[in-house]
Amino acid sequence: MRETPNPHEPGRYEIRLQGHLNSRWTAWFDGLTLSRESDGTTVISGLIVDQAALHGLLQKIRNTGLPLICVTCVEPNPASR
Amino acid sequence: MATSLLRTKLYAPRRRRGLVPRPNLTQRLAQGADTKLTLVSAPAGFGKSTLLAEWLGEQAAAGAATAWLSLDPGDNEPAAFWAHVVAALREAVPGTGADALTLLESPGAAVEAALAALINELAAAPNPIVLVLDDYHVIDAPEIQDGMAFVLEHLPANVRLVMATRVDPSLPLARLRARGELTEIRAADLRFSTAEAKAYFNATLGLALTEANVADLERRTEGWIAALQLAGLSMQGRDDVAGFIAGFAGDDRYIVDYLVEEVLHRQPEQVRSFLLETSILTRLTGSLCDAVTGQDGGRATLDVLDRGNLFLIPLDDRRQWYRYHHLFADVLRVRLLDDLPGLAPQLHRRASEWHEAHGDRPEAIRHAMAGGDLARAANLVELAIPATVQQREEATLRQWLEALPDEVLRDRPVLSNAYAGTLLVRGEVAGVEQRLQDAERWMDAKADDPAGPMVVVDEAAFRRLPGSVAVHRAGQARILGDTAGAVFHAQRALTLVLESDHLSRGAAATLLALATWSTGDLEDAGRGYAVGMASLEQAGHLSDVIGCGLALADIRLAQGRPTEALRVLEQGLALATSDAGRVLRGAADMHIGISTILRERNDIAGARDQLLKADELGEDNGLPQNQYRSRVALAAIRQADGDLDGAIELLAQAERLYVNDFSPDVRPVAAVKVRVLIAAGRLAEAIGWAREAGVGTTDELTYLREFEHITLARLLLAQGSPPTDLLEGLLDAAESGGRNASVIEILMLLALARRAGDDLPGALQALDHAMAMAQPEGYVRVFVDEGAPLAALLASAVNASTSQAYVRRLLLAFGPGDAARPAAQPLVEPLSGRELDVLRLLASDLDGPDIARELYVSLNTLRTHTKNIFAKLGVNSRREAVRRAAKLGLLARTNLDRPLA
Repeated sequence: MRETPNPHEPGRYEIRLQGHLNSRWTAWFDGLTLSRESDGTTVISGLIVDQAALHGLLQKIRNTGLPLICVTCVEPNPASR
Repeated sequence: MATSLLRTKLYAPRRRRGLVPRPNLTQRLAQGADTKLTLVSAPAGFGKSTLLAEWLGEQAAAGAATAWLSLDPGDNEPAAFWAHVVAALREAVPGTGADALTLLESPGAAVEAALAALINELAAAPNPIVLVLDDYHVIDAPEIQDGMAFVLEHLPANVRLVMATRVDPSLPLARLRARGELTEIRAADLRFSTAEAKAYFNATLGLALTEANVADLERRTEGWIAALQLAGLSMQGRDDVAGFIAGFAGDDRYIVDYLVEEVLHRQPEQVRSFLLETSILTRLTGSLCDAVTGQDGGRATLDVLDRGNLFLIPLDDRRQWYRYHHLFADVLRVRLLDDLPGLAPQLHRRASEWHEAHGDRPEAIRHAMAGGDLARAANLVELAIPATVQQREEATLRQWLEALPDEVLRDRPVLSNAYAGTLLVRGEVAGVEQRLQDAERWMDAKADDPAGPMVVVDEAAFRRLPGSVAVHRAGQARILGDTAGAVFHAQRALTLVLESDHLSRGAAATLLALATWSTGDLEDAGRGYAVGMASLEQAGHLSDVIGCGLALADIRLAQGRPTEALRVLEQGLALATSDAGRVLRGAADMHIGISTILRERNDIAGARDQLLKADELGEDNGLPQNQYRSRVALAAIRQADGDLDGAIELLAQAERLYVNDFSPDVRPVAAVKVRVLIAAGRLAEAIGWAREAGVGTTDELTYLREFEHITLARLLLAQGSPPTDLLEGLLDAAESGGRNASVIEILMLLALARRAGDDLPGALQALDHAMAMAQPEGYVRVFVDEGAPLAALLASAVNASTSQAYVRRLLLAFGPGDAARPAAQPLVEPLSGRELDVLRLLASDLDGPDIARELYVSLNTLRTHTKNIFAKLGVNSRREAVRRAAKLGLLARTNLDRPLA
């Protein structure tokens, strides 16, 4: 069965944006990893502590005006492994 | 908020140089003139504010009253948000919203009531009004969204609301869209077309780009205006424009990043570092920039940036204040973190110091927190406490305190105590005790306490601390229902508060008075309230004075001093209406109280008039208790009219609407209703009540249950078993407690009981005693409401009693020709003025939502009115109601010309 994310626990997320973000934005996104893909997108990935933090991050992304392509929870409960 | 900064929030950006005309969009806006809401929804950098500023200027030129509010994250709190909305509207309609502000300031404010008052005023304005709310995406507090939905639902036709936002707001957009009440302009509409881009580059910037160049730029930016502007800046004065375009079009990098780099690269070093260092500021002005950069010439640099169109947006006409375009500021801040790591905290500290020196504590606190300087932030919060509490901005205070970690708070007794206060204001007790103990730990500490250094910046507040902590403890005990604890802590507080601390003194005195009242010591309680109210008035907390006035009047009435109660209520009314045009909440409650006293004196017309006055102020003017108190007062008038069923129905409503406001419930509505049931001969129901309430003749006779015991005595009397012993016991208790209103009633009942037991001399002696006490204060209804049995007894007393004139006056009041009875509608229960208003509109072809809008009430309130009208007319549908009303002549007799409340 597919594991559903617990909203109050940390989870590993991947957020894909249209456009390449320079690595200098790493500090802006609180140390999350930025990787630039060959299709012209950027993937922001890392451990996000809870839903409030996720929404905060999405708000930061919104403020850049970069088109948001997708948000995926790739590992719901990394701590429980 | 400092006035100059408030001004910048209300400043509608002026037309900027080099704008590309956008007739399609301004036309769309013009076509939406009849819609309630205009939503300009698109990501950052799509020219939302520019478009609206341009269009709003045209609206103003065409005679509309226009208002602009630039929102920021601090506005995401109802009190601040609505206060700023009112401030903005005052630019359009000077002086508007005074009532709304008053209502918003009162504790436990009913936001809808405030907004209804505001809507009423706007509806009366002569011109069309346009309000633009810029950056609405910073607002996501549900209370604000609810309030906004209410405003939209009731928006008068002359008002147009415009929102610029990056996120669609949580409002009923689908419904507005379906009703054709929404004008929408979205990213796809806002982006520059190729023609617009060409006009911008070639006509405005004079770049002479080819069609192909423009098409490449357009494709790469997808018409994103901010990007096109940055591209234009990068190309100005560049020889190899074609090369720039080719490089730009072939690059995947984040456009703004890429272009800002291009633009920064072309600036002198001094400008570049200025941009990075000042990027932390929400708003910029010359001296602030100098403080942050540690350089001179900030003002001149801002001028250069302004002239160079470097994403600086002026916030006033004199070009004193600016802000960076949001998108640009974010990119600059990213570069600041990357290029100059570790510098940001220092910059924030300088910004915080500048704001502190210029009297803007909230912004100083924001920068201290953003720079991670929590000690500094905590110091500033401590100094900001008195002003925030006085302005009732406890919610903001709480946000600051919540942002500070516990280890910072624990060493700061003034902050810990204030934290407890912000919790208690919301009726919360969880966490209060811990905060108070944290505060107390330091009060008892010696200077050389090893526990560590205590931090206090507001020495005066620290000196007030013992009294304030004790007041908070008394408030906590009150919320927990612990009367003994409330008395203990309030008494302690009174010995501890400083002479100058009017607020704590008033709060302690009234908390003590409330607790004393519950114990039945009316004299002490009354004195406590009077003293406490004087202190609260000195502290400027008028709403609290009015609320306490209600309690004091109740106490005076119980003491058999209605003249004094009347004076207290009239003073409260004067206070509530002292500011012309601003009626404070609670005025309605004063009218209800006065009505009750006039009724007792058999001035039924006067009593009715007071109820009408309360009604005209609207339900929203009443304190929470007013809902049930007004029905109890009206029921008493119904009873005097002989309409016992109507009175019983109203009292049943009152029972459902009862709210506990911490006052002792010394006249339970259920018992009031049982008295009318007894008068109506419905004894079975009354007996049921006595069983359920557990009232018996052998109970201990306490003040808190006195009213119920007297009710039981009435029941026994009606059942033919005169409760002489019970009444004599009650008389002793009431006399020793100084409760003269009860004494009079008990003596009167004792007279009836003795008469029933064939003890006529004993009966007349009791009645004579009652009348001797009742005459000076003008009591009438306490006797007259008993009807025939008492009239007969009084007739025998005409010769025995000493106060002959009074007896004759009472006998006359029993008379059948009740002059006070109004020209009644031909209905068992007449319609209220408001119900007649609704009825008139029911006879029109307006639908429910339209009627609600017309009357500035919610749909729910309208439904309640309609239900009552149907019940009173005995009909089940609107059509029947109108037909029956016409038949009864109610439509013709309504006051068509009366302005709506």
